[in-house]
Amino acid sequence: MRDVRGDVVRRQLMADHGLDVKAVRSICGYLINGETPSNNIEARVDDLFADPIIEHGATNTTLLTTEAFSSPPDAVITVGFKPGVTDNPGKAATDGFLTLFPTDTDATIATYITYVFYGLPEDCSADWLAGTLHNTLIERALVANKTECSTGQWPELTFPTPPEQVFIEPQAIDLEINDEALITLSEEGLLALNLNEMHAIQGHYRDETTREQRAAMGISPDAPTDVELECLAQTWSEHCKHKIFASKIHHVDHETGEDTVVDSIFKTHIMKPTHDMQKEVDWLLSVFHDNSGVIAWDDKWSVCMKAETHNSPSALDPYGGAMTGIVGVNRDILGTGLGARPIANTDVFCFGPPDWEGNLPENLFHPSRVLRGVHAGVRVGGNESGIPTVNGAIVFDDRYIGKPLVYCGTVGLMPRHLPDGRPSHIKTPVAGDIVYMVGGRVGYDGIHGATFSSLELTEESPSSAVQIGDPITQKKMLDMVLEARDAGLITCITDNGAGGLSSSIGEMAEYTNGCEIDLAKVPLKQAGLSPWEILVSESQERMTIAVRPEDQAAFESLASLHEVEATPVATFTSTGMFHVRYGEATVAYLPIEFLHDGVPQLELESEWRSPQIPAFSPPRNANHNLLLERMLKRPNIASKETWVRQYDHEVIAQTAIKPFVGIKRDGPGDAGVIAPIHGDPHGLVISCGIAPRYSDIDAGAMAAASIDEAVRNAVCVGLDVDKMAGLDNFCWPDPIESTKTPDGRFKLAQLVRANRELERVCRAYRLPCVSGKDSMKNDYGSGPDKISIPPTLLFSLFGDHPDVRFSATSDFKQVGDIIYLVGASKQELGASELAFMLTESGEAVGVGGQVPQLPEPTKNLDRYRALSQTIRDGLVTTAHDCSEGGLAVALAEMCIGGRIGAHIDIDGTGEGDAWGRLWGESLGRIVVAVSPEHNDAFLAAMKGHETTVLGRVTAETTLVIEDGLDELLSLDVETMVEAWKGTLDLTGGVA
Amino acid sequence: MKPRVAVLFGFGINCDHETKAVFELVGAEADRVHVNRFVSGESSLEAYDILAVPGGFSFGDHLGSGRLLGNRMRFAMRDALRTFVEAGKPIIGICNGFQVLVKTGLLPGPASGAPPDFVQRGSLTLNDSGRYEDRWVTLEFDPESPCIWTKGMTRIECPVRHGEGKYVMPSPEDVDRLQEHHQLTVRYVDPVTEPGKGISDQLLPYPISPNGSMRNIAGICDATGLVFGLMPHPEAIYARWLHPLHTRQHDVSHGASLDGWEGEGLQMFRNAVEYVKQRS
Repeated sequence: MRDVRGDVVRRQLMADHGLDVKAVRSICGYLINGETPSNNIEARVDDLFADPIIEHGATNTTLLTTEAFSSPPDAVITVGFKPGVTDNPGKAATDGFLTLFPTDTDATIATYITYVFYGLPEDCSADWLAGTLHNTLIERALVANKTECSTGQWPELTFPTPPEQVFIEPQAIDLEINDEALITLSEEGLLALNLNEMHAIQGHYRDETTREQRAAMGISPDAPTDVELECLAQTWSEHCKHKIFASKIHHVDHETGEDTVVDSIFKTHIMKPTHDMQKEVDWLLSVFHDNSGVIAWDDKWSVCMKAETHNSPSALDPYGGAMTGIVGVNRDILGTGLGARPIANTDVFCFGPPDWEGNLPENLFHPSRVLRGVHAGVRVGGNESGIPTVNGAIVFDDRYIGKPLVYCGTVGLMPRHLPDGRPSHIKTPVAGDIVYMVGGRVGYDGIHGATFSSLELTEESPSSAVQIGDPITQKKMLDMVLEARDAGLITCITDNGAGGLSSSIGEMAEYTNGCEIDLAKVPLKQAGLSPWEILVSESQERMTIAVRPEDQAAFESLASLHEVEATPVATFTSTGMFHVRYGEATVAYLPIEFLHDGVPQLELESEWRSPQIPAFSPPRNANHNLLLERMLKRPNIASKETWVRQYDHEVIAQTAIKPFVGIKRDGPGDAGVIAPIHGDPHGLVISCGIAPRYSDIDAGAMAAASIDEAVRNAVCVGLDVDKMAGLDNFCWPDPIESTKTPDGRFKLAQLVRANRELERVCRAYRLPCVSGKDSMKNDYGSGPDKISIPPTLLFSLFGDHPDVRFSATSDFKQVGDIIYLVGASKQELGASELAFMLTESGEAVGVGGQVPQLPEPTKNLDRYRALSQTIRDGLVTTAHDCSEGGLAVALAEMCIGGRIGAHIDIDGTGEGDAWGRLWGESLGRIVVAVSPEHNDAFLAAMKGHETTVLGRVTAETTLVIEDGLDELLSLDVETMVEAWKGTLDLTGGVA
Repeated sequence: MKPRVAVLFGFGINCDHETKAVFELVGAEADRVHVNRFVSGESSLEAYDILAVPGGFSFGDHLGSGRLLGNRMRFAMRDALRTFVEAGKPIIGICNGFQVLVKTGLLPGPASGAPPDFVQRGSLTLNDSGRYEDRWVTLEFDPESPCIWTKGMTRIECPVRHGEGKYVMPSPEDVDRLQEHHQLTVRYVDPVTEPGKGISDQLLPYPISPNGSMRNIAGICDATGLVFGLMPHPEAIYARWLHPLHTRQHDVSHGASLDGWEGEGLQMFRNAVEYVKQRS
């Protein structure tokens, strides 16, 4: 029998370090803490722990001492979780154990893996090896080196018992201290509150009415309890309140002389345009205020979408951080309206270069390890939850070494009306409803996630900010919640994410204007948690659900059927107060209004001057053949198939356009298309756009390009442009001027410009943003070593596709098909992938110059509308977006998808020189191929919209590109395939 | 009378919605039934004509795919399952469902004529690639298989989506015995071969065989041909618009829904539903 687990480790060591190990074998270990006698367990090993057909099993001894491992290995490494870290296999084993030994109800099982190495090179240290196999933040490893192996001293892990938590009685915290002390209090307590905010809190406790009310409740009248202070810190965190987007910004533009004040970027540039559009269409059901934006999809169904980031946790523990990211955003969908069913995921990652050979700052993983961990987390989270990953992207840039970006999105589906007639997108709680905490328990993990993500990453970042998701606990909860929804048992539901119960119940309490929580009722993973910890812990897989008192029995019986824990922990009231008790004692008593609206508005400074970077100028005598080969190998362009194919992209049997297209099913898909109602071809398009490097020249252009790319991608598959909605997810470096951030004004000006372009383009495209999120502290370190990410907007789009049977894909299909460029090229090579490649190699001096612009978006929209209609009319079955690498790369990808050639002439495709027309990244361009029989109808439909003949699909398997009389390049398709597919495997292959 | 299908769900089964849908598309009445509803007796397996164990990640595949759900069924639904099989009612396990049926011992099951004994005889283990992958494969069916699910089917394309799909048995002789009885119902084949002539005992290379299964086995049936399991997902090609190359096949009309657009996987479910109808 092959030991595949061991093989994977062996291949990875070769791929990452060139280390040639003869063989690696693996042992799965289970530490059982229970009452069942070990000989009883021994008799049942093959029923649970070892597969009788393929595995050896042993009880009370390590397998290393048995015949299964007769020759002495060179090293043995055992890796297990640290105490308190989520051990999913352990949980499953415990469940399975209970099936066999139903009376041993308190048994718990912890797991470990032992790797056994043979033929290890002499100079390879076992301790170093252990470092490559575990993350010290969450795991522990024990090592036996060659000598120890030869004498049978095997590593043996003990059961990971979490340390006792010290219960701290709620106490009052004196805020009548000087400003310096207030700041120290905030910083040392990881509260992430600024002085102004500390003053606002101080002010609240000086109010006479407040003091009288508090005295009457028996709670410290003139000072917050630790519970209250923590609760305010979570609720007022940048993560939860988006204080920068809500701030008052003094904006100065030194180029235009503009000097203005923007009162809330969010309200001005995002909310207002969407609300204006909401007056013009009837399908925008719910925007901004819920966990995701909801649109009516047809008479019976509505769809919603949300995207989140999970950057800081993914930097510390790529696997766990990314997994909690994806299962967390799934809960946003489940917590939308009265509960939507997640039906599709999207994943967009930004990493440092996978082949990075430069220095790595302390505490950071190599980008390839981050990629592998993040990918694995999202893969496990998505696949195990049964939600297909239909769209995404992976972007590389040096600056993401400091902080990777992990965007996770989810689309949800819900009936417009529940069986009891209530519209599903409206929550209907009333005072007196009982509030349940459903799903996982509360633990020490996940304390301070929201405030932590509102601080920059440092070497001291706390391990409690990292969690590992538990998709199966969540899946059970999801099954149960959707049944409860359809049975009409839910009046209100929301996710427990950032800020834990304090945020989830606190936000829902706004509906009825009050709540009363008893923290003593909250089920805990481990005893000893203090009240404030219970309130703010972000332990995963929990929903907060309100139920009418008369439905409690039915709700609880459904929970028990699904083996889901559901505990009543609060009641909605109309007292105006966020009232928290621990048993009988009141531990927090805050006005709902103060909790949610008491945070003072930030006032910030913004100053724009265009960055000065050397302009890109192309080298002389270039060989475009070689350039194309090199471009196809660029990580930003190369095929991500190894990674993406490991996502289930078609569970639910609805994915009509998949991430891979073409005859070998390896060409790039532009957008995902799903038909979620079985038997009905009515579809939904899901796409995204991201262009962070344009921020090097102008973050405004970056935003416009991201939106246009998302729309173009969706148009390529046949989107109905008159029914589309968007999500804006901003990831920015800290834009607040301070000693740590001396260039804060510039970074804030970038944000202002990005949002102005967002408004301009979205209004022109009639593309409402229905939900969004921002993550504003994406920096690592401080001083000269500080690494700030390039300002990045991910624009996600979901829109209608009336009939998925009439879609297009990017692969060239038929010899003789006529190829067109829809849109026109301009001389726009600034911050292009080509400019970056040639600047990195020293063949050019800089990436500056003209960045792609979007001067006439309305014209683009008209063109997109016409083109997508030709797709839905069946006239066009081949369309591909032109983005990184310009026309040359787009054409190469279309040849790769079809394993077929093309003969192209780029003369007349726009202004500018051959470099601009071949490699430039001008927006608004789509390449299509049309069969001769549909040519006339296609041209008639595109009349008045810039459409230029490029050439034909040819029988020769070569891509030939000419510019009038000059041949620019001629490259064999197989050469392109090899270049494009050979770069990003990084796993050492499959054999 | 419409045949009644119980589509199992809970604990990480994921493909319950589409599995229910495909049975309904071929004229059955299908319910998603939580495992615990059968265990508690709230629902009776006896009331159903067909049992489907869909794909998914029951219990996260921990301790081996299908193991924990298999144990729940093996210990808590044992009598109900035995009665169901002995009554000659069809069972299908797809992907994780196949893994469950193998781990419970329902597949390949004992030799012809013996009642179910819940003894595990084969296993499904990690793909040789070490990867979970979603990719389309070409399948061919043994025309002489007793399997009632695959009657009249020759070759289909559909996706595999698994990390543990390598079918193994302790010895080649064990596989020989199944092969003699035509229980190796469905195998991965090279798409360039002529339909009907693709089946090979020689191990085909990755990714034609996506996992390194013995003799390219994709699915097997029990001796009666009523209990059937396979790793690939026939329900995922119930409609042609789910085929990766459907944008290359524009020879069809804008007709209503599945008209002219039925996918080749649907026949498998129709076979079982028709089988039940003819028996009753």
